[in-house]
Amino acid sequence: MSGNSAFLLVSERGWRRGLGSMLKSELSRWWKTRMWWVQCLIWVGIIDFLLSAVLFSTPDTPPSEEVAVLFLIFAGLFPSVGVVIIMQGVVVGEKKSGTAAWALSKPITRPAFLLSKVIANSLGVLATMVIVPSIVAYILTVIATDTPWNLPRFLAALGVVFLSHFFFLSLTLMLGTFFSGRGPVIGIALALLFLQQNLIGWFPILGTVLPWKLVLPLGEQLDAVAPCLLTGSHNYSPLLIVVIALESLLFILVGLLRFSREEF
Amino acid sequence: MNLSTPFVIETHALSKTYKNIQALRSLDLKVRQNSIFGFLGPNGAGKTTTIKLMLGLIRSSAGSATVFGMDTVKQSVEIRARVGYLPQEPHFYEYMTARQTLRFVASCFFKGPKKAIEERIDEMLEMVDLTSKADRPIKTFSGGERQRLGIAQAQVNYPDLLILDEPAASLDPLGRRDVLEVMSRLRKYTTIFYSTHILDDVQKVSDTVVILDKGALVAQGPIEELLAGSEGVVYIIHLRGEVETARKQVLAQPWVSGIIDGQHNGEIAWQVSVSDTLSAENQLLKLLVNCPVVVTEFRRKQYELEDVFMQVIEGDQNVRK
Repeated sequence: MSGNSAFLLVSERGWRRGLGSMLKSELSRWWKTRMWWVQCLIWVGIIDFLLSAVLFSTPDTPPSEEVAVLFLIFAGLFPSVGVVIIMQGVVVGEKKSGTAAWALSKPITRPAFLLSKVIANSLGVLATMVIVPSIVAYILTVIATDTPWNLPRFLAALGVVFLSHFFFLSLTLMLGTFFSGRGPVIGIALALLFLQQNLIGWFPILGTVLPWKLVLPLGEQLDAVAPCLLTGSHNYSPLLIVVIALESLLFILVGLLRFSREEF
Repeated sequence: MNLSTPFVIETHALSKTYKNIQALRSLDLKVRQNSIFGFLGPNGAGKTTTIKLMLGLIRSSAGSATVFGMDTVKQSVEIRARVGYLPQEPHFYEYMTARQTLRFVASCFFKGPKKAIEERIDEMLEMVDLTSKADRPIKTFSGGERQRLGIAQAQVNYPDLLILDEPAASLDPLGRRDVLEVMSRLRKYTTIFYSTHILDDVQKVSDTVVILDKGALVAQGPIEELLAGSEGVVYIIHLRGEVETARKQVLAQPWVSGIIDGQHNGEIAWQVSVSDTLSAENQLLKLLVNCPVVVTEFRRKQYELEDVFMQVIEGDQNVRK
């Protein structure tokens, strides 16, 4: 490069080249636009409104265990739909609009491009769909019941809720690398989200590889991981956490491989 | 620029096939450093495909290409670190402003100092006349403003090679003129490889031209050579009077290859092809003056790039029919 002797050149090398720039750009999409507060508003509105209805609509406060299960259902199921909706355009949208081709014409590697989206969106989802609504929920339960949830258990349960969202985040991202239209991406991800209960009903073995039982109980059984963690029960399989985490990482890996072959 | 000037871009039998469509056929291209290289061709000729191959955005089906001597497949990121690129239809992140877009691009190349980066960004915004709109979101920009931002972002990193895909396509005449001026100014520092279908622009600024058609190279060379035409030197003469006598006199000269007859505003219009330019310059007009004719126009035929382009493309289509 000529005429740039005053500048310090970027020192990232290998697959990390461009990760800093892309990550900054992706984070600014979340935090320097109205996206973060709109998402906070939506999920506080949905999760905490429903929880308030449970806590304050009857004179007798429901048992703490029941409140915990209901909160985790609200926090685990609805935001996953939001994750799929947000993520369905992250790769496909950029492929279609031409911004991916433009960004990749700069010294940005494809792994850096894709991983910046994983990291920035994970942080966005964690903050706006998990942490903020959960803080509000915690305060609501303290007001309603005077007996706060055990904080370490509550945080552990939230970690599992986030893992459930991360599963759908990485799945949707991977699907975006395979398809050029949004339809199949959102269709497959939402179909899996809503049909997994039926699939596990038909083939119980699938309960060990699908994220449903991370957060959501199956029928009357209280054996989902997050509610058990929150209520102090040990009636859950910790292996499911490992399996879902590995599956999520596998989705990202497959997405990276597919994206490395993408033509723009 | 001379023959010892190194090549910045070299392609060897570079080909690209999309399913059953051959977008690029065995392209051999050499672009010298500090040249302004015009890449011409009708829509679908393979211009954008070639550019994308050079940037590693797509993979070749056969052949190879190097930029700065580096392989476009294996060293794509290193190449892009020295290139500025303007896509045919520039698309940027809509949530960013023009200034943020330039900051993002600059951050891909430079990590500091912040003050120098901001100064460079201001300089680029000024260059494309977007200073007053620098902090407006891009989603409010018109096509021309996006194009100008595209030109700015392509240069923010002081590229050694500037690749511009239809840089003047969405610009008004003043904008086009400015782009051409910028290109001429940058010639000292960088190599410019640009595709266009605006032949007038190419003729104004390019020193080397390649014409592609249906994925194949159909003409390549310095602009002066292409403008000289394939018919050799031709004189245009308009005259009236005893034309036949003059014709016999002219055709009798050993350096005259032939005369093509025509009409122009009721006069006879000749196109006289000559094999010896010096003899023609010294003797042709004198010959006619001594004949019983009145010469109303006498000039050497100047080819426009458009003539050459049409000849080449139409000739190529005829060959393939």
